[in-house]
Amino acid sequence: MTWDWFKFFAVAAALFWFLGAWFALREKGVKKAVILTVTGLLVFFSFIVGMWISLERPPLRTMGETRLWYSFFLPLAGLITYVRWRYRWILSFSSILALVFICINIFKPEIHNKTLMPALQSPWFAPHVIVYMFSYAMMGAAAVFALYLLARPDKINRGVMSLCDNLIYVGLAFLTVGMLFGALWAKEAWGHYWSWDPKETWAAATWLGYLVFVHFRDNFPNSRYKTALVIILVSFVLLQVCWYGVNYLPSAKGISVHAYS
Amino acid sequence: MWKKPYGYAEGFAVCAGLFLTGLLLQFINGKTGSAFLTFPYNLISGGIIAAVPLAVFLFFRKSAFYAWLSSVKSAIPAIISLLVLVVIMGLTRQAPSSETLDSGVLERIFGFSQMTSSWAFSLLMVFFMIILLLVILKRITAFRWRDTGFMLNHSGLFIALFSAIFGSGDLQRLSMTVQKGQMQWQAQTEKGETVELPLAIELKQFTIYEYPPKLMILDNLTGKALPENNPENLLVERSPMTGELAGWNIRVSKYLQYAGQMVTGDTVRYFEYHSEGAVDAVYASAENRKTGAKAEGWVSCGNFMFPFAALQLNDKASLIMPPVEPRRYSSDVTVYQKDDKTVEGVVEVNRPLAAGGWKIYQSSYDQTMGRWSEISIFQLVRDPWLPYVYAGIFMMLAGALWLFIFAPKKLEE
Repeated sequence: MTWDWFKFFAVAAALFWFLGAWFALREKGVKKAVILTVTGLLVFFSFIVGMWISLERPPLRTMGETRLWYSFFLPLAGLITYVRWRYRWILSFSSILALVFICINIFKPEIHNKTLMPALQSPWFAPHVIVYMFSYAMMGAAAVFALYLLARPDKINRGVMSLCDNLIYVGLAFLTVGMLFGALWAKEAWGHYWSWDPKETWAAATWLGYLVFVHFRDNFPNSRYKTALVIILVSFVLLQVCWYGVNYLPSAKGISVHAYS
Repeated sequence: MWKKPYGYAEGFAVCAGLFLTGLLLQFINGKTGSAFLTFPYNLISGGIIAAVPLAVFLFFRKSAFYAWLSSVKSAIPAIISLLVLVVIMGLTRQAPSSETLDSGVLERIFGFSQMTSSWAFSLLMVFFMIILLLVILKRITAFRWRDTGFMLNHSGLFIALFSAIFGSGDLQRLSMTVQKGQMQWQAQTEKGETVELPLAIELKQFTIYEYPPKLMILDNLTGKALPENNPENLLVERSPMTGELAGWNIRVSKYLQYAGQMVTGDTVRYFEYHSEGAVDAVYASAENRKTGAKAEGWVSCGNFMFPFAALQLNDKASLIMPPVEPRRYSSDVTVYQKDDKTVEGVVEVNRPLAAGGWKIYQSSYDQTMGRWSEISIFQLVRDPWLPYVYAGIFMMLAGALWLFIFAPKKLEE
């Protein structure tokens, strides 16, 4: 499997996802929506597995490869949210977001080379990045939703705020697990669990940002919705810096041990 | 402000006060010393962090101060203040804590380039932890089962932070360089001081496995890899092989993993060579897909023994081989301890070896020698507080799982 095959798998998967999303919008389409979305996920995942085999390492190193997981986890996160809370529009939403990242990978791929430095050759590698990507998918969905609500304040009510809560709670759970897996791995690879490497610093900032949201909502469950939405957006900006922004920050240039791609 | 009950304004005021106090202390004393983090002072300073919330909890539980300090009204300002400092830290280039900073007035006043050793950060962290412990005390005395996730998250974070901060003074990180066939019991601290250890490491063998070489095309003028902004490379996994690079068809007809270089007149040749100093070399031919221009010749990354060889394709571009990357490297060692115990094993990146209370990490090797390095560099770490940090981490992991499973249920739409 090579990246040349990506467009075929991605387009096929996206078709299943959008078909599923269409059924989800209808009253009685739950079963079809779930089956179609799962099929799309399987198609997409088979490409990931193929890449994994042909690269002889998990495809998690370059930015393009992490986007691959991101486009996989968005519909998965959407599906879980749909099954758990039955928001009818969530699958359309997650499919569109996934499509954006698929398009980036088709039109602006980045170096996909096969080598993996020794520090990354660890059983922690896959869980650390996969858990983080799942969390980013949740947080991304929450951020886009928050942006929409801030643009359309008339749509803000208790129901949509509880959706934001749910997305952030699940995202924060995964964010915490990703960070702690990183700490456990860092102990094995670098000798210490936390070294305030630029990526770690921004991961801490991101985590603190979402902690502010959770505590704020705890104090104001039924008021100050707009402030809560703004906290989501600010935290998501911190997340962007952590994810790829550190690659461009002058304060982090050349000293981050997290610079791989 | 300062009308009961206290709220967010008081929370932010206290944080601002602590921040300014921190700046003042930084200006007078310079950065926080690490002495108060080593045994037995760490027990004393740590005791204070534990004693304040405990005292407030035991003796002032009816006060407005307690109600405020154990609520989100102080917690959110504390989290936001830490967040602000962490963001400043992320935007400021950080210097190693072993360095002394006295250059520049700003540096002396703020200490932001050694954020974790700055007074402002330390004071706000103490405030944060006092609130955290108080909140834990408040909930634990009125424990309900649905608070399990809350308790796991908050006390896990407190235990991990407390052990990490107050254990950091007792943490030892040393670097040790060992020659093949020799034994070493001296190591260097981060400040470059030499210390003798209660254990010695003998390096029996050092091994590097490398990835196959890569080929790239560089711009002759700028030295940048092509195509610009999206450089391509070709991994030479077998020979013969063909591939495509930046508009050129590349054919590799010969790949020598162990090669020596021979120069006769102005021609450079490579031949099989299996002694020390052997280098990777490939014989490649290139054809431009548009113009049909052709070039062929040897390409090698070079090393300490043989110079590097590029193949000039035209006046704009050259085919080159960047240095080969290590796939894995490991050291075969015997560790001798004072009590006559010996541990034999292999130390590899991501696979440290434990001996006599220390963990031995493969850190580096003689990079100028590459695959012929006869030196292995280890990192030795002793962290007596690690089990407590891990206990906190595992509690937080369980708490995260709890959060995921019992996330608030959907309200009516």
